[in-house]
Amino acid sequence: MPVWQAIYEELKTNDFEIISVAQDSGGEAAAGPIFDAANVSYTAIIDVNHHISALYNLVNVPSGVWIDEEGRVVRINEGTYAKNHGSFGTDEYAPIVRDWAINGANSPYVWDKDQVLGHIFQRTEDAERAQPAFLLGTHYFTHENEEKAEYYWTTAQELDPDSWNYLRQDLLYEEGGSAGPEWRARRTAEEGRGETYYAPLEIEEQANR
Amino acid sequence: MKKLKILGFLVAGLLISGIVGAQGATVLYNERVIEVANTLPDATDLWVAPEDLTRINDFVLKPEGACLDALCIPVLQDRDSEMFVRRSGQDWFNVTVLADKLQQAHVTDYEDGIWSFGVMPLERTPFLKGGVAPDFELADRDGKLVKLSDFRGKKVLLLTWASW
Repeated sequence: MPVWQAIYEELKTNDFEIISVAQDSGGEAAAGPIFDAANVSYTAIIDVNHHISALYNLVNVPSGVWIDEEGRVVRINEGTYAKNHGSFGTDEYAPIVRDWAINGANSPYVWDKDQVLGHIFQRTEDAERAQPAFLLGTHYFTHENEEKAEYYWTTAQELDPDSWNYLRQDLLYEEGGSAGPEWRARRTAEEGRGETYYAPLEIEEQANR
Repeated sequence: MKKLKILGFLVAGLLISGIVGAQGATVLYNERVIEVANTLPDATDLWVAPEDLTRINDFVLKPEGACLDALCIPVLQDRDSEMFVRRSGQDWFNVTVLADKLQQAHVTDYEDGIWSFGVMPLERTPFLKGGVAPDFELADRDGKLVKLSDFRGKKVLLLTWASW
């Protein structure tokens, strides 16, 4: 977050905005202290229903979407860490964000419409039903009905098994936690199938710009 | 005791005849939580008064049908139809059949009367087929509503993360 804060402070007068959205059903208690610690001055939202991930077909965190001056998506990535943290993260993404914040449509990292469409995560019909199930689960979670929260959150995971967000939000409240044995096993299994936990960032400059 | 029983019969009778839709419902729609005081009791579907339809999903029941801006889904209203019935002068609209027609996903907890609706596929098309950023309206940490479309003219980096 300090990295984003620095880029924001440098370029906010260049028609650049950051909207940072925590996908946290635990609300302010869960995500608030992290925003506070980073002392962010950009827009900070705590999205208990994971509404943004549902709208933009995001299945993992962190994810990053670039939206241009006309409201078009011009890039969409997952694994969009601000920096390399050693065992995870990357130093490659923040510099291209900065480039775009400076150069806008002339940035070589901006994608055209077909590239954007090719990077929107494709959801099954079942996965579309996961959203109202998760919403219902969160409603119960907020009202401290753990049994029904668990039931509907589990339903959401069954309907949308591609969503790491639904899985890990639920695991947080179970033994082992959100990055515990179950998450590791699932991740290892996915990687064993030749898939990547995060889709590659695909940071290549577009030649024809 | 006897009085209570009679009253009970009376209430049951009113319920069956649809004069009183005493069964309430909670509807989750995007970020909205809508409490509906009266519904027409039904084992599987959600029937609400036309004004509650609008509170739920902004659709307005007009002579030409259930309308949201330029979109109108035809609804027969001169007789009982799949989306419309009149009981003792009260009109009821079937929200779940409308959702099915719009291919909008919904999940219900019947025990508690909570109905949760997904995003309308129609609203998804500009994003999925055209790369248009879906608009949203969410409260920031200070409770101020943040609307993406208010940022037109700016480059917006939308980042998701989580504490877990």
